[in-house]
Amino acid sequence: MRTEERQRTPVFVRKVRRFWWLDTVPFRRFVLRELTSVFVAVYSVILLLFLLALSRGREAYEGFLRWLDLPGIVVLHVVILAAVLYHTVTSIQLASQIQEVRLGGKVLPRTFLAAGLAAGWVVASAVVAYLHVWR
Amino acid sequence: MPEGTVALKVARYRPERAPTPYFDDFEIPYRDDMVVLDALNYIKDDVDGSLTYRWSCRMGVCGSCGMMVNGEPRLTCAVFLRDFRPGPVVVEPLRYFPVIRDLVVDISQFLEKLKLVKPWILRDEEKPVSEGEYLQTPEEVEAYKQFSMCINCMLCYAACPVFGLDDDFIGPAAIALAHRYNLDSRDQGRAERRAIIGVEWGAWDCTFVGECSVACPKHVDPAVAIQRTKLDLATAALKSVLWPFGGSR
Repeated sequence: MRTEERQRTPVFVRKVRRFWWLDTVPFRRFVLRELTSVFVAVYSVILLLFLLALSRGREAYEGFLRWLDLPGIVVLHVVILAAVLYHTVTSIQLASQIQEVRLGGKVLPRTFLAAGLAAGWVVASAVVAYLHVWR
Repeated sequence: MPEGTVALKVARYRPERAPTPYFDDFEIPYRDDMVVLDALNYIKDDVDGSLTYRWSCRMGVCGSCGMMVNGEPRLTCAVFLRDFRPGPVVVEPLRYFPVIRDLVVDISQFLEKLKLVKPWILRDEEKPVSEGEYLQTPEEVEAYKQFSMCINCMLCYAACPVFGLDDDFIGPAAIALAHRYNLDSRDQGRAERRAIIGVEWGAWDCTFVGECSVACPKHVDPAVAIQRTKLDLATAALKSVLWPFGGSR
């Protein structure tokens, strides 16, 4: 079903420009969300490096902590935090759009699932914060 | 009740005159209750009879008057000129589709895609007519009703950049239609349709931009239909590996 085989009538095919994603606000928002995935991936790599340093003993671990304290790496973490927050909020919005939750035969409003997911996220973050900061 | 004029910028493509599309400007009498389609009809009747476009019902049902109005895919019979005054109101053919002439696009590949997903009730074995209809409860109708409201206006395709970049993408309306039949309690073709839409240029091509659902004049929500289709495809694939006898249903 390729285009060449399909076309019988002479037609004018409009090309999509390279920067199509700058054309509308929803497109820009969509691409921004896609780009935040890169930061999610970068943070996963940092976590893996952290585990690697941990497995290599005390010296490597302390070296890793010193690397984390570098100003550039702190700035990187602030950027990652902002990106991951945006990614999480939009993920919750999208998931609540897709998933239908039924209770007693009735479909619950979308906000119900969004609120549930947000609550789960807040609780999980609180547990992690408690383990790291107060223990 | 004439109330001045309104300006329109209408895209033209007349291959016998110019190799590429261009715009014609029109200034026409304006009434408060005029929709964009009324303006096009005025131009065709009174200004330039060569203007070519599709329309039929003028009441948001036939789905044939879809065009880009000021850059957004809209049914021209459902967009009032008063929202864009003093203009110019820019009218173009549906985005991403090949243009045949002026505002008319080639819909042949869309029709092929609709057929491709087998949008009819598939049964393993048809029961004889003497046994009567396949009955449904109101709840069973409700399960798919939203996805059956599509009027094939193709606004969702014109809103979808994925379709713009890959015209082999089966696309929002066709996948939503497949989903509609998959949800129908009388249908048994879910596994058969999985093989059709569970491909690279099927549901998996969608990146959930979500603009198809924004454009849909009938609130079908094709974006949700596609994501639920992905969920169904992924669950079925997982079941086929993990369950002893596969998970074809």
